Amino acid sequence: MTNLAPAYSPTIAPSDSPELDPFDDFPAPSWAPSWAPGHTPGTRPGIRSTLTLAGNGVLRRRKPKLAYAAVVIVGVMAIVVTQLLLSIGLSNGAYQIESLQSTQKDLGRSNESLSEKIDSLSSPQNLAASAESLGMVSNVNPVYLRLSDGAVLGTPKKAQASAGSLTGGQSSLTPNAAIAGAAAAGQPATPTAAAGAAAVTPSAPPAAAAAATVPWTGELPSPTTH
Amino acid sequence: MTSRRSTRNRIAVAIVVITAVVAVLVVKLVDIQVVQASSLNAQAYDKLSVGQTLYGARGDIVDSTGTVLATTVIRYDVTASPKDVADFTQTVNGAAVDVTPLQAAGQIGAITGQSATDVYALLTADPSSGYALIIKAIDLDKYNAIRALSIPWLQYQTNPQRVYPNGSVGGNLVGYLGADSSTNGGLEAKENQCLTGSDGSQTYEKGADGVAIPNTLVVDKAPVTGGTVMTTIDSDLQYYSQQVLAQQVTSTKAEWGSVVVEEVKTGKLLAVAQYPTPDPNNLDATDPHFWGATAFSDPFEPGSTFKAESAAALIDAGKATPATQVLVPYRYKAPGGSVITDSENHDPAQWTLTGVIQESSNVGISILSAMLTTQQRYDYMKKFHLGEKTEVNFPGESEGILGDPSQWGEQTLYNSSFGQGVTTTAAQIASIYQTLGNGGVRLPVSLVSGCKAADGSVSEQPSTQGEQVISSDAAQQTVNMMQSVVTGGYAASLLKIPGYNVAAKTGTAEVSNGQGAYGGGYLTSVAGLAPAEAPQYVVSVNLMKPVTIEDGSAAAPVFQKIMSQVLQKYRVLPSTTPAVNYPTSY
Repeated sequence: MTNLAPAYSPTIAPSDSPELDPFDDFPAPSWAPSWAPGHTPGTRPGIRSTLTLAGNGVLRRRKPKLAYAAVVIVGVMAIVVTQLLLSIGLSNGAYQIESLQSTQKDLGRSNESLSEKIDSLSSPQNLAASAESLGMVSNVNPVYLRLSDGAVLGTPKKAQASAGSLTGGQSSLTPNAAIAGAAAAGQPATPTAAAGAAAVTPSAPPAAAAAATVPWTGELPSPTTH
Repeated sequence: MTSRRSTRNRIAVAIVVITAVVAVLVVKLVDIQVVQASSLNAQAYDKLSVGQTLYGARGDIVDSTGTVLATTVIRYDVTASPKDVADFTQTVNGAAVDVTPLQAAGQIGAITGQSATDVYALLTADPSSGYALIIKAIDLDKYNAIRALSIPWLQYQTNPQRVYPNGSVGGNLVGYLGADSSTNGGLEAKENQCLTGSDGSQTYEKGADGVAIPNTLVVDKAPVTGGTVMTTIDSDLQYYSQQVLAQQVTSTKAEWGSVVVEEVKTGKLLAVAQYPTPDPNNLDATDPHFWGATAFSDPFEPGSTFKAESAAALIDAGKATPATQVLVPYRYKAPGGSVITDSENHDPAQWTLTGVIQESSNVGISILSAMLTTQQRYDYMKKFHLGEKTEVNFPGESEGILGDPSQWGEQTLYNSSFGQGVTTTAAQIASIYQTLGNGGVRLPVSLVSGCKAADGSVSEQPSTQGEQVISSDAAQQTVNMMQSVVTGGYAASLLKIPGYNVAAKTGTAEVSNGQGAYGGGYLTSVAGLAPAEAPQYVVSVNLMKPVTIEDGSAAAPVFQKIMSQVLQKYRVLPSTTPAVNYPTSY
């Protein structure tokens, strides 16, 4: 290819402008002196001298090119490594997300399932039956304490077992198929257990007895007054 | 020169070969990148991408305090792929155990409650099939238990199901879901549009191990959770009403009963009980006739509770006062020949209008009502919104029958004054009493207080615009007259609530046999207000054809208990004024 060089060199001399930007794909042509600082038109050599200087020009160019190449390679490598690290991080994150999402899904499901049980167990049918199995009845004679003057409105009367019973022993009159499901599925069926305990010691509410053995932790409750 | 030529030849050949190879590659490249690009991309995406349905659950129905009456829960269907059914390895206590399909069937059956042979039969019914349903809609605990068996040929699908945590409490109102939306019942049908959610979908690309590739998740369509229907019902009061009513219906051997509790100042229905009431979780246990709300769907001739309306109309029109005197015979023959009798034989009595109400005299109210023209009477009934559906517009709601006044015969003219010859629903009766209690201002009856969308916005709020039906004085005087029923009527001892002034009216209506005649039982009822001096709540009780007691005394204890509960629950202070005591005779 060297034999072709002379034909081009008179018009375009990219080789003799070592300070041109090595990344410039279109170096300024030799007839554009303003692009080649250090080469004033007056000092411009002839064709021959250009050829002689070509070798020197190549030698002089080597050093800066190496530095640029090194920068480029190091830069590329840095980018590759960073990218690699990033994608490792991302995929790690993906697994973490996957595992957390599945945990979240499981927790969401058990939350839903437990709320469903709570909703069923707190249905009035279940509460009434549980309360009555503990021996509780409602008092049909309410008495009010008027706060403005402390007056007692109404005549206090003892609650009657017969009149105060909500279910009247006929809890099946307002059926709820959801309770059976909730009581059967998992959680210890509180009403049944309580009923059993109440049958053994009818005079002492089992809940109170159980509560007595639990020591109080935390702050003592204090009334909030406004 | 030879070497130069051979060099040139080699170069030429190399160039040609390289050009050819490059050309082939370019063609292939264009083919892949441009021509087939979209289909190849699609194939690749199909292999990588996973589509998921995001369920937009059907909304809840809640009571006035937020207690859930109907909700959607996730259940799981378990299916198997029979063609893949084979032995597999299970880890039991750290040791690998080989499990045969029959053993696996036994393990599944132990959880689902099926027998091992049943499950095995399902697995082997069609060994070439890729699908066999093992069990539908199991709950989370069972699903987790089956998943823990790690059976490789089982698959699971989620299956949203409707549950009613409070069972039959409000079961008549909440309704049920049918096979499709047209066969829904109750609020599930009425509020279907509010409740319905819409499913969304998302796709992501998965790696070889099934884990989502980061940044590939695309939500194609966000799911929309259905709205929450907020009702005015108080589920505790609803339960109490149902329980008390059910006990009385069964003990009096009535066909059915209904109770309506309405708030006087708002027109809100606090309880609409009936017996029998369906448990939407287990509909088939109840006669399909009672799957709806009888308080809206089953009109009846109201009987004497309607005398309150007649009396209010008379007073409002200025034709009578509570003290208006009337000589009441037991049997009255009207000018046109119609005959009216009172329920019990008595000597001609000198009663006031209050006395007529207290004694529930058909003759007395008929003679007095004749002071109004037919058209006036009809207009008052229309102003009380009789003969038209209430604003609730419950599915299957009846208008009741008022008839055309020009077609009313003389018998109907008189009969309608004491609640025969016209039919009303229990909700309409409650609304009449609400009007009387609220100074003559009728408020729209409301059961649904709104539809709360997932974003918190509330729509479908009912109107609260009242209408002045009768004057405030006429309304309060009518309520005061009804106090005499509780202080001295035949069911007084059953109606009294200690500490409160109560205004109520009993009713014992003959029930049409469906062939234009009466016979075969009575509808007994009580409707009333408390506290009478400033009414806050209406309770209306109706029992259809009780056997052991055939008059208002059958319904009175139910009224008394439910009204007591209402007053106690809503902390209504006991009356401080004595009951109004209009003279009943002269």
